Amino acid sequence: MAKLRLDKFKPIVALGLFLAAWWILPAVAKSFVRVSFTEFQAPAWVAASYLDDLEGFWARRSHSKIELIEAGQELARQKAFYQLLDQRNKTLETEVTRLESILKLPSRREFRYEIARVIRRDLSAWWQQIIIRKGEDYGITEGAAVIFSGGVVGRVVEVNAFTSRVELVTSPNFRMAASFESDGRPVVFQGVPQSGFGTPAGEVRDAPQDLIANTQHPLRLVSTRLGGTFPPGLMIGNVTWLEPGSSGIFQAGEVLLDARLLSLNEVSVLIPLNPLDFDRDVP
Amino acid sequence: MFLDPRVIILFGTNALLLFLSLLVNSSLASFSLYLVLLGPMLVLPALYLNHRSFFLCILTSGLWVDAALPATFGLFTCGFLVLGTLISLARIRFRAEHNYHPILLAHAANLFCIALLTIAAGQNHFSVLLTTLISHVALLVVAPWFFNLERLLFELCHVDTEPDDFPML
Repeated sequence: MAKLRLDKFKPIVALGLFLAAWWILPAVAKSFVRVSFTEFQAPAWVAASYLDDLEGFWARRSHSKIELIEAGQELARQKAFYQLLDQRNKTLETEVTRLESILKLPSRREFRYEIARVIRRDLSAWWQQIIIRKGEDYGITEGAAVIFSGGVVGRVVEVNAFTSRVELVTSPNFRMAASFESDGRPVVFQGVPQSGFGTPAGEVRDAPQDLIANTQHPLRLVSTRLGGTFPPGLMIGNVTWLEPGSSGIFQAGEVLLDARLLSLNEVSVLIPLNPLDFDRDVP
Repeated sequence: MFLDPRVIILFGTNALLLFLSLLVNSSLASFSLYLVLLGPMLVLPALYLNHRSFFLCILTSGLWVDAALPATFGLFTCGFLVLGTLISLARIRFRAEHNYHPILLAHAANLFCIALLTIAAGQNHFSVLLTTLISHVALLVVAPWFFNLERLLFELCHVDTEPDDFPML
């Protein structure tokens, strides 16, 4: 009778032991391993990003002087326009502060804007995230809001030494308080699984029954100060259709987001100057 | 020798494949396309290395992938080890010196990875189907290149170019 060879089971035994060890390994140890590997990979991504910047620099160097002069003139016009807007903004800010002091309104949250380059986009069927080239070295904090010229981008979910991971508004894990531009009542915005090949989209829920949206007059969904992460008035997307939600009390609909979210190169992280203290600030 | 030098080569090529695929995915993001090219990473380690070296190579590769992707940490570490062990146990049935069997295994392993992600995250079926289709079309080109690169590096580094002894069956 052939002798039973046990050594052929060695790989399966080793695998079983590893899986058992992984299962009982404390979360702190797993987190340490994850952070170590992530930090080890980060320089490669940062270097690739700097090489990309260098490529852009040399591409711009090849432009003719005429093109550069024209671009300079265009920039000068834009600058003059924004200087006018800045003056008007300062006047309005002063007026708002004066009215707030008269009405004794609570102070608003102030933010520091940190501009960061996008070094990687991970937009798949399973996750919707980007990685930016700033981390703890620039004081980025977990949960900080991320915006761009088109409005809300997302929220920082992980901060490493030199990089940070941002969850996009398109992610099903992203949810925030919002309101329609012409209506102060709060609604809920949530990302949805993206279908691919289409424009990015989200979902709005808990919209009041009296609101009507159509393609001729879409409703603009903007951020509110509720939640404390985003400043009010930042564009989220447009809603062209609202229908009764599952509860029958409120309406729900699709939110069409800015297509530029899929090809972001630069974003701005809003770092709160006075972080929320939940023991102190929440009633 | 405790550590087969081919472990370093195979781990290095796995890291390179992951880096390149994530670079491509970053560029394809504006078209809402994504490539999953993880299958080839565990084929040659399972077919070429002895059990101890295979375990080390796949463990580090899995941890590397888990740290790079936003999936649950440990998903690929455990998934790679399970599938790699199964391939390793059945490796007498595959011819590692030619690309035919490794490519088929790479496609099967890639499907396993996509299924693993879908079970773990559970997302839009159309989008998963689209990702699967384009990933496997890309894999037809990437897998032969990747296996040839690994074998070329074996030769350039003057290490053993033949698979280790087969496991006892």
